[in-house]
Amino acid sequence: MEKKSSSLANLFLLFIFFILYAPIFYLIFYSFNSGGTMSHFEGFTFDWYRELLHDTRLLIIVLNTVVIALLSALIATITGVLGAIGIRSYKRRQTRNTLLSLNNILIVSPDVIMGASFLILFTMAGVRLGFYSVLLSHVAFSIPIVVLMVLPKLMEMSSSLEDAARDLGASHWNVLTKVTLPYIAPGIFAGFFMALTYSLDDFAVTFFVTGNGFSTLSVEIYSLARRGVSLNINALSTLMFVITVIFVVVYYYLASRSGTKGANLRR
Amino acid sequence: MAKKPIIQFNHVMKQFDDDAPVLDHVSFEIEKGKFYTLLGPSGCGKTTILRLIAGFTEATSGDILFEGKKINHVPANKRPINTVFQDYALFPHLNVYENVAFGLRIKKVKKADMDAKVKEALSFVNLKGYENREIAGMSGGQKQRVAIARAIVNEPAIILLDEPLSALDLKLRYQMQYELRELQRRLGITFIFVTHDQEEALAMSDEIFVLNKGKIQQSGTPNDIYDEPINRFVADFIGESNIIRATMIKDFLVEFAGKQFECVDQGMDPNEAVEIVIRPEDMEITSVEQGSILVTVQAQLFRGVHYEITCMDDAQNTWLVQSTKKVNIGEKIGLRFTPEDIHVMRLNESEEDFDRRLDAYGEDENNAK
Ligand SMILES: Nc1ncnc2c1ncn2[C@@H]1O[C@H](COP(=O)(O)OP(=O)(O)OP(=O)(O)O)[C@@H](O)[C@H]1O
Ligand SMILES: [Mg+2]
Repeated sequence: MEKKSSSLANLFLLFIFFILYAPIFYLIFYSFNSGGTMSHFEGFTFDWYRELLHDTRLLIIVLNTVVIALLSALIATITGVLGAIGIRSYKRRQTRNTLLSLNNILIVSPDVIMGASFLILFTMAGVRLGFYSVLLSHVAFSIPIVVLMVLPKLMEMSSSLEDAARDLGASHWNVLTKVTLPYIAPGIFAGFFMALTYSLDDFAVTFFVTGNGFSTLSVEIYSLARRGVSLNINALSTLMFVITVIFVVVYYYLASRSGTKGANLRR
Repeated sequence: MAKKPIIQFNHVMKQFDDDAPVLDHVSFEIEKGKFYTLLGPSGCGKTTILRLIAGFTEATSGDILFEGKKINHVPANKRPINTVFQDYALFPHLNVYENVAFGLRIKKVKKADMDAKVKEALSFVNLKGYENREIAGMSGGQKQRVAIARAIVNEPAIILLDEPLSALDLKLRYQMQYELRELQRRLGITFIFVTHDQEEALAMSDEIFVLNKGKIQQSGTPNDIYDEPINRFVADFIGESNIIRATMIKDFLVEFAGKQFECVDQGMDPNEAVEIVIRPEDMEITSVEQGSILVTVQAQLFRGVHYEITCMDDAQNTWLVQSTKKVNIGEKIGLRFTPEDIHVMRLNESEEDFDRRLDAYGEDENNAK
């Protein structure tokens, strides 16, 4: 009886995953179609990928996306780590929880609202829409994520470690670089990779704050898809999917290496 | 006495927020090269005193002096004092060598010197050859030794140890007690050791400070504190004891359990209400005729080395006796003790008054001998 129901559950799970991944694999599959449509498969080709490589406009957009992702993740990680250290330094529980809630609200609030509010802010402040507006908004929505990844590690660290370092003659700067940062490094890496993936595939916020002449991949794909179907998009999406998968794998590798105990428990 | 104390507390008060003070006008002196123990129940302020000496926290009022100079506001990294933490606080991302070398690296000691010093410190704590071990792969006792090595390698003037043995099993704890004491003798560094285990304190210390509720109750050598506890708290906390209400009839004569006994204490008012202490191991079980007092056996526990016997006298006082002889429950026995075994305590006597009284009468006691 029990066995039956669990195999049923497995089947259901498989079905769900199939539905979730089917469109992606459908899209990937036709990116190798020489026929030029997504209705029937004629023959295998790398033509679309080749075309992609010769499309300099698109390559620049890819470059933009990557630069924005790396830069925003970097800035957000530095700011987020400092923020987390700041939150921890508040002795009063209530202050700490308030700050943390303010942080979490930013994560759960809808991207569209974030994007719209950034647009209003940038317009009012007179910031030209383009590279910097996108970078700033990506930094802004990544910081709360980094804080959320780093804070648990910081909280877990016994304060006697820092006392011990001070006791052994370390200045505040030495304590930070030789004890605190190495201790929370796994959290920092996790936060960086999360910020990176969020930035890479963000559409809603970016859509609001890109101006003329500057675009990121997700926004570009959206506009291409609206103009009409080209298997270029399929090829591009496939590449993005692969890159995302690689990031996720790297992230899990780092996370499981740092928290072997937690992983064992879950197993 | 002429030697300048290495650490001195002058009426140090420590208060968190608006709570009652954690330390209440604590004053004491620490001499160079001795093994000191802070002993007291949980929450009495032992860790707070260590944190004040180490510089992790500042006193609310009062002065802390190091070799005569006020150090209230000197930060922890500028004090020649190192701490062995209760949870060891070893750096988990560094191996044994790097943990021990941490302080030397901060001081930018040359590589060759550093190697030699780390090696020496590790061999001091019997951890030769453990340089490349990760901290996670060490046992509790080994971690504790690394923590000690990390402190001694800096050659501090004082080492503070916050209940470093409490996490170890009994056997290892005894072994480490010997090793720590031995280490302190060899190094000649001042140790300030915190524990709530009275046996540990008695076994290891040159001098003990007994603390309760943020106040020093009594300080002295293990023998002084054991033999002449100043009040009920100290007598009760240090070892097993029989504490009985009594009346001091006059010098050298005290009355309890309905009888008068000769004793060696003096300097109280005539007919003053006092308490007396007799240690369970000081009493001898004898026949009814020979006993100083008469009691009925109520319970008996076998403790391995001896029997622990609970008795009651006719005045309803409970007596705890240790004896290698077995008795029968319900049996009437005599307990014998000498005048020296009775220690009289005045109610609410401060340590200063206690010392003054002893000093005032110490003279003629010596003359009498
Ligand atoms: N940062 C703090 N804020 C508020 N109260 C504190 C703080 N640190 C210690 N206390 C209080 O001070 C008192 C003494 O604490 P302390 O840690 O010195 O005790 P202890 O003698 O070391 O006890 P234990 O044997 O349990 O370690 C306790 O009542 C504790 O609650
Ligand atoms: Mg403590």
